[in-house]
This record gives sequence, structure tokens and C-alpha cells, in this order.
Amino acid sequence: MSEILAVEARHLTVRFGDFAAVKDVSFTVRPGEIFGFLGANGAGKTTTIRVLCGLLAPTEGVVRVGGIGFENGAEPIKRKVGYMSQKFTLYDDLTVEENFDFTSSLRKLDPAIAARRRQELLDFISFSRPLDTFVRDLPGGLRQQVSLAAALLHDPEIVFLDEPTAGVSPAARALFWALIRKLAASGKTIFVTTHYMDEAEYCGRIALMRSGELIALDSPEGLKRSTFPAPLYELSPRSEGARIRIPELKRDPAIASLEAYGIRFHVAPRSEPEWERALPELRGDFEIRRIQPSLEDVFIRLVEGGNR
Amino acid sequence: MKLSRALAISRKEVRHILRDPFTLLLALVLPVLTTIIFGYAIEFNMRNIPTAVHDGDRTLSSRTLLESFGSSRYYLLEPATGTPEAVQALSADRARAAIIIEPGFEARLRSGRGAKAQLIIDGSDNSAAGAILGYLAGVQSIAAARLLDPAPPPSAIALEPRFLFNPELNSRWFIVPGLTVVVIAILSILLTSLTVAREWENGSMELLLSTPVEPVEIIVGKLLPYTVMGLAGMFLIYLGARVVFSVPFAGSHLAYLLASALFLAACLGQGLLISVLLRKQQLSMQFAMLSGLLPSILLSGFIFPIEHMPLFFRILTSILPPRWFILASRQIHLQGAGIADIAQPLLMLSLIAAALVGLASRKFKRDLEP
Repeated sequence: MSEILAVEARHLTVRFGDFAAVKDVSFTVRPGEIFGFLGANGAGKTTTIRVLCGLLAPTEGVVRVGGIGFENGAEPIKRKVGYMSQKFTLYDDLTVEENFDFTSSLRKLDPAIAARRRQELLDFISFSRPLDTFVRDLPGGLRQQVSLAAALLHDPEIVFLDEPTAGVSPAARALFWALIRKLAASGKTIFVTTHYMDEAEYCGRIALMRSGELIALDSPEGLKRSTFPAPLYELSPRSEGARIRIPELKRDPAIASLEAYGIRFHVAPRSEPEWERALPELRGDFEIRRIQPSLEDVFIRLVEGGNR
Repeated sequence: MKLSRALAISRKEVRHILRDPFTLLLALVLPVLTTIIFGYAIEFNMRNIPTAVHDGDRTLSSRTLLESFGSSRYYLLEPATGTPEAVQALSADRARAAIIIEPGFEARLRSGRGAKAQLIIDGSDNSAAGAILGYLAGVQSIAAARLLDPAPPPSAIALEPRFLFNPELNSRWFIVPGLTVVVIAILSILLTSLTVAREWENGSMELLLSTPVEPVEIIVGKLLPYTVMGLAGMFLIYLGARVVFSVPFAGSHLAYLLASALFLAACLGQGLLISVLLRKQQLSMQFAMLSGLLPSILLSGFIFPIEHMPLFFRILTSILPPRWFILASRQIHLQGAGIADIAQPLLMLSLIAAALVGLASRKFKRDLEP
């Protein structure tokens, strides 16, 4: 274990009064990894990120970011990380240049270095507009990219992105993820939360949180395998009458889980022989086809299934 | 604390201010507008009070008496045809006072039995009634001197009032120095309370905190531009008072600057405390207006004298900055006070400002530090 871990959390607990937002969470992130952080709203994702960015002290447990903990206060951690919050990106009434200047002054960067970094980052995101454009005049996708560049200004080792693509068009999301992959390839560690399952597929590993607890941690493929060891089937009702049978099927002993996906349903059988027995009767009402489980199946099974 | 980081925040804040028409308007127009409104519209001196007159005597003496009223400039006489009509002018609000002289006025005067005339005053407006009554004594002595041939002997004890510092009791001289308190209180409490609440509300506070910036740097950086703005507002009102209303400035400018700066610090601290506690712009704005306006108008001595308040309010006002600043401001403007003369207000303002800024910083620091 000579390699320094990018992020290390051991038995991390954060309490606000009597409420525990994060309960005994442990995980590690390797340098250069794209680490996805998934969970429903209020699962404790943002609280965990705030601790890792030095915005909040852990109530219990140990946190090390870039090999540095809280022993000398939060400032050494803040130097190591870049943070892009979900709520706020840039000041609307300032220009792109003024936003950059503000961030580099707060980080006390040398003006010459800051100017060079700024140009590199603007090239990196292929920013072609005038620097005196007001942020409010930028389209949503471009604004996220500029915000990412601002978070990278002090060349942090680890970048925390809290729902960076919320409310952005699909094309802009794809562009943003191309940037994220490029960053990871250049050695930066990316710690990202998202509600888009297609984005989660891009992550090297995914941590799933539910009510403050870490309930799963694996690669996307590993998560799919461990959550759905048996094959998954998609049921398309042939008629309205078939749809009415759904509540009854949910109680069927042959079926482990049944979730609605739009007008179709995803079914995980309890065992292959039982499923084979139930199949002929089901074919009358449903069109049935075998599918590969998606991360969405995993998410719904683990995160939302647990709340029922 | 690093000055460069605090200045970076100030620079950003100045940009926000310059690009926000509402803030700019508030900062520049409010002082000018309120000076004009208060200076011109609020007038405690009364002139040409409409007065209905019924002269039932119609003699030289009764006319001389009425002329004494008319020539005083305070009363504007409007003849009525009878007592009922004069009283009706009062109730219809066409007159604020009525003078009734019954037949036989001159006869009684000549016979030495003591002549009487009746003055009826509209009592529904307290301060106007008080002023009308106040002018009466002067008119009475003028009339007596004219009407009685050997002039009446002076009373054994004569009280001769003379008003120091403001000989004509010019109410503008009294109001305009107090005006600064209202304008600055609203301006600085409101603007500072918005500035921190805005960062909380739009989430940018979190971004600020993800950088190594310290709470004290945020506070200093935020307060600096508003201090400059507040002092500029004070200067505008000072100019307006001196140039437009010719309010005398008898005291020390240094003392005035010192008192202004301390009062401003207290207001900024109050605004900061509000926004640190409430964290919402809408709520902060309402609370700032309320806590800025009410004490500075009602409990500062600006309009209602503190000495006449019940004990509870007298004690309450002593922890409110506006009371001390108004006291200092009037002493400097009209009585020619220097720093030593206003030591007590200065001391109280320093204490209150230190308490407010200290409280706000402590609460702010506790909220921010991990």
C-alpha cells in the first residue's frame, strides 16, 4: 500500500443534533478514478461531499483527502480539492473573467500563474466567447463548463462535482462527460454525484447511499451482477386486463421483484425452475423478453426497494 | 486574516452594487429624496393659520384687536357673519381657529371692567393647537399696548423667554440633523442585511467556503463597500442641509465624522446580524425595514422627546443607536459641541456597535467553521 489514496473515509458519521445524516460510512477512492456517488435526495451524498471538501467536520470517524485529514483544520484540505456545488455555479451579474479573477484572488493564486491556468482551462473546455460575457448570458451547458473550469483554477488533485449536469441538455451533458473523462485521464480524481443512470455507467466505481448508509460499492457491471444474479425479463402487457394482474403478480412466489418502467415492467424471477413453470401462463397476457439489467434496475432495487 | 482576500470580496461586492439598479437607486436617491421631503413637507412652524372672525362690536377697539392678530403673520383672518358661521367654519375644516368679539367690547374696555374676546381652537390636531396657543401671548400683549392708553403696567414678575441655539425655533434646523439617522439606518441596515442573506440563499456561500477564505475576511470584505456608501450618503445629506436649508453647523466636523462612523458601524452590525440569523433575503429585508425605521423615527428623539417617554422606553432607547446619534448630531449642529461634549453618545455608540458587530461575527463564525 505505497500508493496514496485520493479519498479515504473510515467510519464517517455526521450528526446534526439528534439526526444522523451520514452513518458509519467507509470507502476509498484511488487517484485518477471516476467515482460515482448515487442515492435518493436526502440520502447523505451532499453531506459526505461537504466533509470531504472541508466544509463540515466529521462527528465521528476519520477522513483523509489527498492523504490529509482535519488535524490542522480544514484549510489544507480545501487547497487539495475543487468543488462544484449543485445549487450555485457562478455569479450571474459578473463576467466570465471577473468570476475567474474572484476565485483566483480567494485562492491567492499568483496573477501570472492564474492567467496561464485560466487560458489552459478555457482551451480545455473550448471556450470561444469573449471573456467579458456576463455569466447570465451563457447557455446552461456552457455555464456548467465554465464553472468546472473555475473549480479547477487552483489545479486541485481531487474534484468534487455535485450534480454538475442537473438541468442541462443531453448534448451538453455528453460534452461535459467527455471533459470529465479527459480530466480523469490526466490523473485527476473525480468524485461525482448524479441522478442520471446513463452518466453513472461512465463511472469506474459507484457508491450507493440510502438514508445515510452506504449500501453498495462496486463497478457498474459488478453491481448489476450482484443485484441480479438471475436473468431479468421485461413484460409488456398485451391488454388493459393484463395490467390489472400486476398487483397479483407482485405477490407471486415465483417473482422476486417487479418494477414498473413506463408502460412495461421489469421482473426478476426467484429461481429459474419456478420461472419456467410460471412462463406459459404469463405469455397469454404479456409479451416477455429477456433483458440485461441496467443501472436503473439496480438503483430502484437497492435504493428505492429498501424504503418499501 | 488576509487583506487581499477581503479586498477580493469587496471588489466583487462593488460590482454587484454597480450592476444592481435597485441598490444604486436606494443609495443615491433615498438620501436626497428624504432630505427634500422632510425638509420641505414637515413643518412644525405655523404661518397664516386660517382663522374665522366674527366682530359683533364693530368699534375701533375691536378692529384694533383683530388687526393685532392679522398683522402677526401667524393668523389669516376670514370674516364670518355670525358666531354660528364662525363655529361652522371650524367644523368644516375651513378654519383652525375662530375669534368671536361680542357687542359691548369697547364699552367694557372703556369702563375698565375688563373686555373679553373668545378664541376657539380646533383641538383635533394637538401640535397645531399647541402652536396656535403659543403665539397667543405675543398677540395679546401687542393688542393691550395699542388699546389701553396708559399702557398696562408690566406684571410684577415678567418671564422673558429667549431660545438659545435656534432663536426662531426653526423646525428645519431641528429636523434635518436628525434626518441622517433615518436615512442611514434604512440604507445601511437594509443593504448589509441583503448582502449576506443573498449568498446563503443562492448557495454561493458554500462555494466561498470551499476556498480557504476565512469568516472575518468575508465580513470585512462585505462591510467595506457599504461603509463607503453610508458615509457618502451622510455627506449628501450634510450638503443638502447646509446648502439647501442653511442649517447652521456650529460644532466640530471631526466630532461629527466620528459620531457618523460609529453610528454607521452600529447599523452595519445590525444588518449583518439580521442576515446571519435569517439567511433569507425577503425576510431580512422586512426585518431590516422594521428594525431600521421604527426605532430611528419613533424612539430616537427625532420627533418625540425621549424625556417625556415612560421609564421603560427611556431605558429601551438607551440601547438603540439612533437615540445617541441624534443627540450628538443636534449638539454638534446647533450647540457647537466638540468631541469632549459628546463623549457620552460616542461611548454608547462604540459599545453598541462593538456588541452588534461582535455578536454577528461570532454567530457567523460558528455557522461556518467545520
